[in-house]
Amino acid sequence: MAFPAVKKRKVSPLSGGDCNNTYAQDAGGDWSQDSSNEDNDFVLGNGAIRSGHTIIKAKRTAKTSWSSGTYDSNMFKLKANELLAKVRPNDESRMVKMENSLRKLKDVIEHIPNRKAKPILDAEREQLNSHKVRIPFPQPRPAMDAKYTLTYSKPTNINVVGSYARRTAIQVGGQLGIDLAVTMPSHIFQEKDYLNYRYFQKRAYYLACIASGIEEAQEDEYAVDFAHQNDNHLQPIIVITFLQDGGSKSKYQIRIILAADGDLFPISKTLPDKNCIRATTSGVSSPGSSFNMPTPFYNASLRSECSSLAYLKYLHASSLQSDGFSDACQLGSVWLRQRGLGREFGSFEWACTMALLLQGGGSKGKPILSRGYDSYQLFKAMLQFLSFRDLIASPVLVHSDNITLVDRDGPTLFDGKRGMNILFKMTPWSYATLKHEATVTLKLLNDPLSDQFDACFITKVDDLLQRFDCVIEMRTSRVPRPASQMADALNDETYFCQRLHEALSTGLGDRVRLLHVQPPPILSWDATTPQNSTKGLRQVQIGLRLDSANISRTVDRGPSAENKVAAAEFRRFWGGKAELRRFKDGSILESLIWSTSDPMDNVLKQIVAYVVQRHLGKDAADSIKLIGQSFDRLLSGQESAMNDPSTLFRPVMSAYESLEKDVRALEGLPLQIRQISAADAQLRYSSLSIPALHPSQGQMEPANICVQFEGSARWPDDITAVQTTKIAFLLKMGELLEESTSGLIARIGLHSWNRSLLNAAFLDIHYPSGAFFRLHIHHERELNLLERVLRDASHTAASREETASALSTYKRDFIHAPIHTQSMRTLSTRFPLLSSSVRLMKKWRDSHMLSSHLSDELIELLTVRSFVHPYPWSVPGSVMTGFLRTLTSVSKWDWQSEPLIVDFNGEMTSFEIEAINLRFEAWRKIDPAMNRVAIFAASNLDPSGITWTELGPSKVVAARFTSLAKAACGMMKEQATDLEPEALFVASMSDYDFVIYLNPRSTRINNGRRRHSVFKNLHVQSDQDKSLSGVDPVQLLLGELRAIYGSNALFFSNEHEGSLIAGLWNPQTGPRPWKVNLPYSTKPVVRSDDEGSQLNINKTATLHDIARLGGDIISRIELKR
Amino acid sequence: MSSLTKIPLQISGYNILPLSLPPLPSFPEAATHYLYLVPHQPKIPTPTASRSLFLVNVPFDSTELHIKLLFSTQIGLPAGRIEDVQFEGQRRRGSGTDQASSPKASQNKKSKKRKRGSSGGIIEDMEGAALPPVWDRDLQTNGLTAVVLFVDRASMDAALKAVKSIRKERKEPLWGEGLEGKVPALGSARYLNHHSLTYPNKAQLLESVNNYMTRFASKEASQARSLARQRQVADADGFITVTRGGRTNPARQEVAQEQAEKQKEKQKGLDDFYRFQSREKRKQRAGELVRKFEEDKEKVRKMRERRGRFRPE
Repeated sequence: MAFPAVKKRKVSPLSGGDCNNTYAQDAGGDWSQDSSNEDNDFVLGNGAIRSGHTIIKAKRTAKTSWSSGTYDSNMFKLKANELLAKVRPNDESRMVKMENSLRKLKDVIEHIPNRKAKPILDAEREQLNSHKVRIPFPQPRPAMDAKYTLTYSKPTNINVVGSYARRTAIQVGGQLGIDLAVTMPSHIFQEKDYLNYRYFQKRAYYLACIASGIEEAQEDEYAVDFAHQNDNHLQPIIVITFLQDGGSKSKYQIRIILAADGDLFPISKTLPDKNCIRATTSGVSSPGSSFNMPTPFYNASLRSECSSLAYLKYLHASSLQSDGFSDACQLGSVWLRQRGLGREFGSFEWACTMALLLQGGGSKGKPILSRGYDSYQLFKAMLQFLSFRDLIASPVLVHSDNITLVDRDGPTLFDGKRGMNILFKMTPWSYATLKHEATVTLKLLNDPLSDQFDACFITKVDDLLQRFDCVIEMRTSRVPRPASQMADALNDETYFCQRLHEALSTGLGDRVRLLHVQPPPILSWDATTPQNSTKGLRQVQIGLRLDSANISRTVDRGPSAENKVAAAEFRRFWGGKAELRRFKDGSILESLIWSTSDPMDNVLKQIVAYVVQRHLGKDAADSIKLIGQSFDRLLSGQESAMNDPSTLFRPVMSAYESLEKDVRALEGLPLQIRQISAADAQLRYSSLSIPALHPSQGQMEPANICVQFEGSARWPDDITAVQTTKIAFLLKMGELLEESTSGLIARIGLHSWNRSLLNAAFLDIHYPSGAFFRLHIHHERELNLLERVLRDASHTAASREETASALSTYKRDFIHAPIHTQSMRTLSTRFPLLSSSVRLMKKWRDSHMLSSHLSDELIELLTVRSFVHPYPWSVPGSVMTGFLRTLTSVSKWDWQSEPLIVDFNGEMTSFEIEAINLRFEAWRKIDPAMNRVAIFAASNLDPSGITWTELGPSKVVAARFTSLAKAACGMMKEQATDLEPEALFVASMSDYDFVIYLNPRSTRINNGRRRHSVFKNLHVQSDQDKSLSGVDPVQLLLGELRAIYGSNALFFSNEHEGSLIAGLWNPQTGPRPWKVNLPYSTKPVVRSDDEGSQLNINKTATLHDIARLGGDIISRIELKR
Repeated sequence: MSSLTKIPLQISGYNILPLSLPPLPSFPEAATHYLYLVPHQPKIPTPTASRSLFLVNVPFDSTELHIKLLFSTQIGLPAGRIEDVQFEGQRRRGSGTDQASSPKASQNKKSKKRKRGSSGGIIEDMEGAALPPVWDRDLQTNGLTAVVLFVDRASMDAALKAVKSIRKERKEPLWGEGLEGKVPALGSARYLNHHSLTYPNKAQLLESVNNYMTRFASKEASQARSLARQRQVADADGFITVTRGGRTNPARQEVAQEQAEKQKEKQKGLDDFYRFQSREKRKQRAGELVRKFEEDKEKVRKMRERRGRFRPE
């Protein structure tokens, strides 16, 4: 990726974790002095006046970088500018209204009368009785006998702060919030108020006073609620939501946050290693073991109260120093929002991190980011920092070097000037998730084949079911807290989550790659009612990214018995489950054995249930709900062997290997065999039904095989003669095979197409084991012969067309199918879950009756894309994610204007990609109505892009495909974790014009495993008699229906469980003037207005024809319209 | 039937003949099929055209027997007046010839069915060398027209008159009446039959392959002979035609073109030898970048016009 050099300065490329850049040193550390002159800029009103200067600036930067020709990704940049223009709040009239109400609120707050200092009990009673507003005390609430008093006096300052004041607010989905900081006067606090929640208790009272003041001054203009700032229970805030006519809440909010003067408490008292919650004084009743435990969370919460204005100034100064800063903040906010990361790491933290890294953080205090970066570079460099730097193991300190940091399991980015760890709210799991998302996005930005921009900013990625391979839901419950844990100001829920995270990450170990805990959201509550949500038991959600290699391991090896300490620890964690075992290699280890007897109860479920029961109590364990495993069970044959395609397909694969051996061993063939290649979904782990070899499971579908002989000059130089020669070869091979293997039956079959250019015959090989292969001979000269005809100008247009279609059939069957099969086999071993995801996608396609329109290979390409280009997610780790993400990508796919390009092994060059795009555009130019090719699906194996879509789907079906996917995604979003997977597979018949119900005797039932031929007695004999294997009257009927009526109706069927065929009339068969060669049955209609008679489609006669054609196969036909 | 009153007697000069389709168990609704008839007037006149009728919109399951029976039992024409029925697809090939053969042997008919396309194959007519058929009965998939050839002009006129009188009497002939058992059945029986026909007898298959290959070989040999003759004999202007198969083969066109291109490439010389060349190249690259940028801008503009592309979900 090349970066634009704005002033022709050399920009060092960002690589690895070391993002040092040296040329911005002149920025120095004295920014905050500069910015102190700008105090007045931020008073109310001024801050809200917006200007377009950032946009103009962005344009200018873009221009210079493009003209210098160094920018590789203009497209991304152009789109980013569009995005920024879209997310900036731009509703002028609304803004003016907002600013008016801000002024009004300011007036109201300034006129709230002072209150005298009162003891806590009195103050609370008075507040409740005369003002109706409860004081939102943090946990633990003040003791009754507390000696200090609560008071209110006029605020020293009221400012607009936050992203709105810095003009970096984003407005997505209409939601916009403005932060209004009310600075409390210092004289209401005492010197020691930083200790033992006293500051926070006084603050809560102050907040309640403001809330009651606002409540009393308004007349139903807005709702006054309390909420927690960033979910931190120490910092309640007021949220003011405007009421629209009719009482509904608008999406515009004003958040009133409280601030204190920066010098209210000295920074040295609130450094992370200090203790500010003393157990000896009142307030906390536990004994003094925790006397000197540092309380970093409490300290940082306190410090953040005192520094909100300082940060506003600091960030503003940063945005003046660096051109791209504001835009990068907005890009970051959008990125965070789409990933649902705002809770612990929001736009404020993003901006602060960026500002700090512009000044330091690198080796020897050098800045990590450079001021010369433009917005995109800043954004990308931030992602690099977040992704590569481990802030837990190696904290970053800016503006300070002699800080003692406490051992913390969260990340640390310490701002020495303002004395605060910016990331103090982050938990280990939220940090891991942030890191993971940053890594994925970075990979995405380096993958030329993904739609980088959409995946980065447009797609919403916070949907649990798609984001995580498995989701666990459980209720929170109160867990006993040992006294040593009481030290820092954590509430019960956070503590529960911490314990849960510890227990599960130890218990699951390397089975999971990421463990994300999502505590229940803290909703705002009406200021006049008590907050009741914390008391109730609520849902916590845990998202897991699984490691598919380890997830189903049944034996866990722990530490050796000789390692006493580790063994004791292991036993303490696992309790009775831990066993001492002697393994084959002679080692004696502590170990865990998980059962595999019950398919419904897989290893993951067992571990989670056991660990939660042991460490968090029975209540929590009983409420566990595991989501995501039920998708596996939709596939037949999946119950026994979890997710392992190699075991499921092993019989057919070994049968294929033995066939290969047998064919190669044949002696007496006139030519040597050069290559034997598989060309069938069953031989690439992706057929919906597992090939059934045992007679009791029914019969296998024939698996296609291509055999290529060594070149010889003796082949005839005529395409029809070549096809006939192949028959002779097949006859010989069949004879030899039957001789060489006992019990093997080889039969020559003829294709039913009546065309001399196409391959005419095949050899069906039945093994006594039940394996069934269909062998074709591939002769590479056919290509030349056909191409020669095409080049020869003397042939008629009709014969050239025939030749062209023969050529594409040849290429599909003999060139692309074997390569595709080979690549899919390779990928299936690389991604163990690909096979099941493909199969589930095919099941979905079949159950929505699209089977004959969408080729297997197209479905495979679409699924493969979710694995090789998984962005904005990472590679799927469960069938659920593989399937749902593929569906989502289909639902978002604008196939009319975008090609599908899949790179199987990551070797495509930008030239190849460009060539494919060109070809796509050419197709759209030749055939803008998309009559020949609707969907364009190319890969590195098949740059032509139409091999698998030439024969379908048509435009109508393609549109139906994407709209069905959209409906499925809508359902998924709506029902979220309550989604029943089966519901996605139910087809509706209401859209079809007619439905043909088939006689159950002639269809295949039982999940496609068992074929029921029409004659029951023949079916019974079929163990010995193979003559009827492969017969499928329904498919043959469907083929004939398409051949005869294809131009006037579309037919839909479910290939696997087909009990009916549905149809749609072609709308172009309406009344029309007389024509001899209409391809459908017509009836004359007399028009009243003029003399000319017209023809219309004769629907009843057509259905009658269908009934005659189907005969006993069809039981009933229903005409809907 | 009330619907009949609304149906005109003719449409664009074609006589309309309604055919009644009796209800079926799976589709218990009576339906009417409309057949259109007119005296045959092909663009290129043929000797038999004057005694032929041209049928439009024949039912998909029509066979020769169907049409014959329709005229004889339903319309009231004496039997034996129809000499031949040619459906679209088949007709195209046989149209020029005036075959006066009596009802064809089934063997003959089958060979016609699997007649090979004319593109590419040297061998056009392959009596006995064709592959065995895989369907027991052809359906009209190629088109819904047919030409009925009568024994003489008078029978054709009589047929047309009979059709008109049937319309006047408001009768609807039944389609497919009296054919049970005479033509292969449709439905599952057809598909089972197809399945067994798909796997022909090996000996029979081998025979047809051998026949084909012998014929192909002899044809190839005779072609080679005629080419050899051409090589040796000068034409009227004294030139000898260059043909394939001689001792010195003439170059294939593709190969010659390829070589010519290679030669061209060689003569081009170095393209970064002079300074102006590299300068021009640079300029070209810059132009390319600008062009691409403009293209991208255009693309983004188009995307913006389609709603909602830049708004985060």
